[in-house]
Amino acid sequence: MLVKVRSVANVGLESVPIEVEVDVAEQGFPGFTIVGLASKAVEEARERVKTAIKNSGFDFPPKKITVNLAPADLPKVGVAYDLPIAIGILAASQQCPILNELDSIFYGELSLDGSLRATKGVLLVGLFARRCSIFVPVESANEAAVVDGIAVFPVRNLKQVVDHLTGAKKMEVLKHVEVEELVGEELVDFDLAEVAGQEMAKRALTIAAAGGHNLLMWGPPGTGKTMLARTLPGILPPLLPAEALEVTRVYSVSGMISAGETIIRRRPFRAPHHGVSAAGMIGGGSNPLPGEVSLAHLGVLFLDEMAEFPRTVLEALRQPMEDREVEIVRAAGHVRYPAGFSLVGAVNPCPCGYLGHPRRECKCTDKQIRKYRAKMSGPILDRIDLHVKVPAVETNKLTAESSSPSLSSREVREKVVGVRKIQEARLAGSGMYTNSQMRNREVRKYCKLDEQTEKLLKLAVEKWDLSARAYFRLIKVARTIADLAGKEDIDPSNMAEALQYRQTN
Amino acid sequence: MANQFGSIEGKKVKGLADLGSRCPKKLWFRGNWDDKLFENAAAIIGSRRMTDYGRKVTEKMAAQLTAEGKTIVSGLVYGVDQTVHRACLEFGGRTVAVLGWGIGWDKLGDEEKKLIESIEKNGGLVISEWEGMRPALWTFAYRDRIMAAMASEIYVAEAAVKSGTMITVEWGLKLGREIWAVPGPVTSKVSEGTNKLISEGKARMWMPNQQASLSLRDKNNTQRDRSNTDIYISLQNETLTVDELARKLGKPVEEVGGQLSLLELSGEVEEREGKYSIINILE
Repeated sequence: MLVKVRSVANVGLESVPIEVEVDVAEQGFPGFTIVGLASKAVEEARERVKTAIKNSGFDFPPKKITVNLAPADLPKVGVAYDLPIAIGILAASQQCPILNELDSIFYGELSLDGSLRATKGVLLVGLFARRCSIFVPVESANEAAVVDGIAVFPVRNLKQVVDHLTGAKKMEVLKHVEVEELVGEELVDFDLAEVAGQEMAKRALTIAAAGGHNLLMWGPPGTGKTMLARTLPGILPPLLPAEALEVTRVYSVSGMISAGETIIRRRPFRAPHHGVSAAGMIGGGSNPLPGEVSLAHLGVLFLDEMAEFPRTVLEALRQPMEDREVEIVRAAGHVRYPAGFSLVGAVNPCPCGYLGHPRRECKCTDKQIRKYRAKMSGPILDRIDLHVKVPAVETNKLTAESSSPSLSSREVREKVVGVRKIQEARLAGSGMYTNSQMRNREVRKYCKLDEQTEKLLKLAVEKWDLSARAYFRLIKVARTIADLAGKEDIDPSNMAEALQYRQTN
Repeated sequence: MANQFGSIEGKKVKGLADLGSRCPKKLWFRGNWDDKLFENAAAIIGSRRMTDYGRKVTEKMAAQLTAEGKTIVSGLVYGVDQTVHRACLEFGGRTVAVLGWGIGWDKLGDEEKKLIESIEKNGGLVISEWEGMRPALWTFAYRDRIMAAMASEIYVAEAAVKSGTMITVEWGLKLGREIWAVPGPVTSKVSEGTNKLISEGKARMWMPNQQASLSLRDKNNTQRDRSNTDIYISLQNETLTVDELARKLGKPVEEVGGQLSLLELSGEVEEREGKYSIINILE
C-alpha cells in the first residue's frame, strides 16, 4: 500500500516541499530502502525509525518497504525526515489512519524511544506552511508560534501523533504569539555606564551606532576593547519585529535557538576567534550553513586581534560588507544568507601589544611593527569609517571623577534611535537607511560643506595625505556627528571631531 | 638606482687619520663628496629600541645641533639613528650616514631606501668602508670607529650599558673626542649607559640651549593659536590622551577632540598611540 506524507527541506533560507512516499509491499523480500538522494543522516533514519516504531508499541511491518523522497534530484540532508517516514510506514501498514488531511506537514528527528528531538529549521517550516498544520518537535515548536494562520502541534513522541490521527486523543495547538509582544522589551547585556573611562571610545561607539559605521579600535591588551565592543548591540536601536524574524530565521537554520525559545530578541553579537576559516566566516559546507557574518546579521561582528586573522578570511568579508548578504556556491547548489552586520575590529598597536604603553616596554622592532600593520592595510580598512585609539588607562585615573557622568546604554540608544530617524527621512526612497551606506553621489547631495569646513578638510587631506575614499568617509562621519548634534548642516567643529577618527598609520 | 659609487682614500677624510693603523683604506659613498661636510661634524647616536623620551630628546638635539651649523653623523638603522637623520633633514641640515653594511647591499627596507635618497638629495652622504657587504653583528661594531673618528663631538641620546652605542663612545674617548650624554630616568634600561657616562665624568651632560631654540623658532615662524591655550598649557609637561585632557579641562571629549584635530593640523601638537604632546623641539 502506498502513502504520501508531506514534509519540508530547507535549502539555505528557502524551503522546498518534499513528498515522502512510503510503500509497504505485500510481496517481495522484507527490507527497508530509502531513495531520493538521501545523505548519510537520512539513510540512517532506517534504524531510528524502525526502533522508534517498535519502542512506541507499534509493529514494524516485516515486509518490503520503499521510501522515496521527492523531488528525487534534490539532495536531502538532515534528520527531519524521521517523523514523516515513521508516520508513512504506520499509515501504509494500517496502524494509523491514512492521512485525510493532506495539508499536514511532518518534520522532526526521532529518538530510539519514539520521542522527538529538537530539530533545526522549524521556523522556516512554519513560515512555509501557510494555513497548514505542522507537526514538529515540542522543544523547537515555539519557533513556529510566531507564524500567523497555521496550527502548530508540538509533538512529544510518535505515539502522541498516532493517537491524534486516530482521534483517540487530540493534541492541543500551540498558542500563537505576536512578534510585537516579544520584541517590545528592551534588553541590555552590557551597559555603557559600566565601562570605566574611555570616553573617547564610547563617543566613537555612539557615532558608530548612530550612523551605522564600522569601527576599528587600536590599543594595547587589557584596555577594555572587547568590553566596549560588547556594549554596541545595546546601544543600537531595538530590533523591529520583522528584523527579529529575519535574525531568527538564520539562527533556526543553524540550530542555534535553545529549546523552548521563540525568537531572537536581541541584536546578535558574534566574536569569532582569529583561527576561523573562510568557510566558517562567510558560511559553507556541502549543504551550506550560515557563517559568522550571517549569524551577526543586524547585529555586531567583533573581530578581536584583527591583524591575526588570515588575509583570505578578511578579504572574504568584502563582499558581504558591500552587499549585506552572502552568496555561497557549492556543488549542491547555491544559497544566499543575509549578512548586514556592523563590524567592530580590535587591533594591538604592535605584535607584543605594548607600544606606547605608559609602564610596559614594547619588545618589537620597527620592522615587525610595520609588517604587522601592513597586514591590516588594504581593502578592508577602506570600509571602516571610524578609527579610534584605546590607550591604556592608569587605574588611579579611572577612579577619579569623570568630567561628564557616563551615559547609560538606554540613554544613548534613545539618541541613536532619534538620529536614525533623521537619516531614514533624508535617504527615504533610496533603499539606504544610514549615513554609512551613502555613496559618493548621496554624500555630495546631502552633505553640503560650507567654505570653512571645506578648507579644513582640504588642509587635512594635504597634511595627512588622505585618499579620496578617506575624504568621503570623513564627510560621512561628520554628517553623523552633525546629526547627533541635531544640526541641519555640517559645521567646522563637526568636521574637526570627525578628523579624530581618521585612519592613521 | 645606479650601481656606481664614489670612493675616496680613507686618510683624506678629516679625522680618520687619527685611527692610525685602523683607518679604512678606502671609503665608498653615495652623494656628492664635499670636504666641508666634515669640518664641523657631530655624531648623534643611541639605541635602536628608543623610548618616547628618547625620541623627543633626539629630535630636540638634532634640531639644535643642525641650527648650530653642524653636520650630523649617524648610523641609519631604525630607532635613534633614523630619528636623527630625519630631524636634521627636516630642519634643512646636511647629514652623513655611516653604514654598518656594504654600500649597494640591496636588501634594505623601504624606510631605509627612502631615507638614503632623501639624505643624498639634501646634500648629505651615505658612507661605507665596504661594497655590497652583508650586515653582520661585527660589521656594526667595526663601523663604529669611523663614526667616532669623523665627528669632533659625540652626543648620546639613549644607550644601555652594553650596547653598540657604547663602543662608539669608547672609540671617541680613545680618540679624544668630546662626549655629551643626555641624562634619563634612572629606572630606564636604555638610559643606564648615558647616566653612567655622566656620573663617571666621561661625558658632559647635555641640556637644551634656549638661545638656539629661540633663533630657530623665528626661522620657522611658529604661531600659537590663542583660542586653545588651556589645552596647550595642560600638555606643557606631560603627554595626555583625549580622555585625560577632557577630564582635566572638564570638557566633553567631542569638544576636546575637535580642538586637538585643529591643533594637529596647525602643527602644534602631535598624536602617537592615542597620546597627545606638544611639538616642542624648539623649546
